[in-house]
Amino acid sequence: MSLVRVENLGKSYNAQTKVLKDVSFNVEAGEFVSIIGPSGAGKSTLLRCINRMVEIDEGNVVFDGQDVGSLNKKELRKMRTNIGMIFQHYNLVPRLSVIENVLHGRFGYKTTLEGILGKFTEDEKEQAFYLLKKLGIEDHAYKRCDQLSGGQQQRVGIARALIQDPKIVLCDEPIASLDPNASKVIMDYLKSITMELNITCIVNLHQVEIARDYSDRIIGLSKGGIVFDGSSYKLTTDSTDLIYGTTTPKVQKRQLVTV
Amino acid sequence: MEAISISPHIKRKANGKISIKTGNKSERVMKWTISTLTLLTIMAFLFFNYDGLDLAKAIPETAYNLKVMFLEPGLSHFTWGAAFYQVGITLGLAFLSTILGAVIAFFLALMAATNLSNKWISKTVRIFVAIVRAVPTVLWVLIFAIAAGLGSEAAILGMLFHSIAYLVKAFSEAFEEVDKGIMEALKATGASWWHIVTHAVVPSTFTYLLSWTFLRFEINFSVAVAMGAAAGAGGIGFELFMASGFYFDMREVGLITYMILLLAIILELMSTRLKNRYFPATAK
Ligand SMILES: Nc1ncnc2c1ncn2[C@@H]1O[C@H](COP(=O)(O)OP(=O)(O)O)[C@@H](O)[C@H]1O
Ligand SMILES: [Mg+2]
Repeated sequence: MSLVRVENLGKSYNAQTKVLKDVSFNVEAGEFVSIIGPSGAGKSTLLRCINRMVEIDEGNVVFDGQDVGSLNKKELRKMRTNIGMIFQHYNLVPRLSVIENVLHGRFGYKTTLEGILGKFTEDEKEQAFYLLKKLGIEDHAYKRCDQLSGGQQQRVGIARALIQDPKIVLCDEPIASLDPNASKVIMDYLKSITMELNITCIVNLHQVEIARDYSDRIIGLSKGGIVFDGSSYKLTTDSTDLIYGTTTPKVQKRQLVTV
Repeated sequence: MEAISISPHIKRKANGKISIKTGNKSERVMKWTISTLTLLTIMAFLFFNYDGLDLAKAIPETAYNLKVMFLEPGLSHFTWGAAFYQVGITLGLAFLSTILGAVIAFFLALMAATNLSNKWISKTVRIFVAIVRAVPTVLWVLIFAIAAGLGSEAAILGMLFHSIAYLVKAFSEAFEEVDKGIMEALKATGASWWHIVTHAVVPSTFTYLLSWTFLRFEINFSVAVAMGAAAGAGGIGFELFMASGFYFDMREVGLITYMILLLAIILELMSTRLKNRYFPATAK
């Protein structure tokens, strides 16, 4: 059975525009899938429908056998512990230390009071240090997050997702704010999450080359619809043209003139 | 170029030159308000009642009073010990109303912040707080005096009421500045609302909350001085009122003014120190 089943998913934020239209695909456990598409295509929205950070309007998302759309508040919290999420802007609490930010990933398992008081077990703390070590930032554990470089902050973000002990990690443009070197480091870590820990990864990207290099499978999204879904080696120039819309130099020039 | 200069997006002044002001309503309202106020001020000076005013006498007399007040300060109706005790009472009034106000305002601000609360609760709290804030502190004190009688209870309640309203606005605006992404990230891990508040919102805004609270303490100190006299809440304000309005003792008025001034300076220095020591990031 697939880990994630997306069936005829539709989503709109307002009456005029449909951000997602009739999107269907399955993701198997252990897959590394990239979603590519121009900005505004609906990639972030699609990712957020999987852990229901945005409400699902039409169709279904089934995660690990559970219909995500029909969960109540408590069940939803419990389900989210199984889904890690990584963001373009890292989204760490800048004034707190690295280790505190990593432990935030355990809140889903805590009662309200335990969480408020910040009660974490020794096991959890050891696990946090273990992850930081694996990610090569153990020596920064007690630094404030805003003192770290972008690449280092993203690694804290990965640690926060992994300490959740997730079945899947959703990554929304994880390398869009990073330089090529740091990007490679982060992509390598994400790839190893899938290879070594067998955790499924869905990664939103806008760099086609990187998507091709790292993923087993690519989903191409354009204007809220899937226009490509297949192994990364099947992604031809024609299909990227379809995803991004034809961009020949001639058309670009004419656009410049009309501006 | 031809195409650009006839663009419908360009606003022009009457003489055909391109305008770079947005020319919207608020700009015009501002202009009108300022001119009207200036005109009214000038007119007010023309219409004042100047009967019985002898400037030649009034100026030297005022100067003499000020001289006695500030160059020859001294105590005659009570002792130094009593003076410090009264200052302590005033500080106590300010402290109590600020601390209680800050704690209550924290919870109300969580309800008022649009990113932490639902639309209706937020609106209700905001409107309520805006009304409370619109009424001056003195009036609240007098309103509470109906039930509690004139005195320190009414003063504290009134100051508390106004402090809450003031701090709810300041706190909720600080909460709303918190990066949406941070809250989203925690929510996505399965964290509950209280987890997000205590571990993302509070750490991100703590320095602001503290600065606002301290600022309110400074305000409350001066309000407490005034309330001492106006509401009979005691403290140094009451002694000041007695010295000036009852005994006409210029020397005592001078001394008490100096004490209050000194304390205000100390509070100011403390708040600056506090910020620099613990929050170097905000002092920049
Ligand atoms: N919270 C929101 N409210 C209203 N419109 C939104 C919201 N989030 C995204 N959109 C709109 O949905 C469309 C798709 O956005 P998004 O999913 O962020 O695309 P992508 O991640 O591919 O750039 C965009 O047109 C965007 O303006
Ligand atoms: Mg996006």
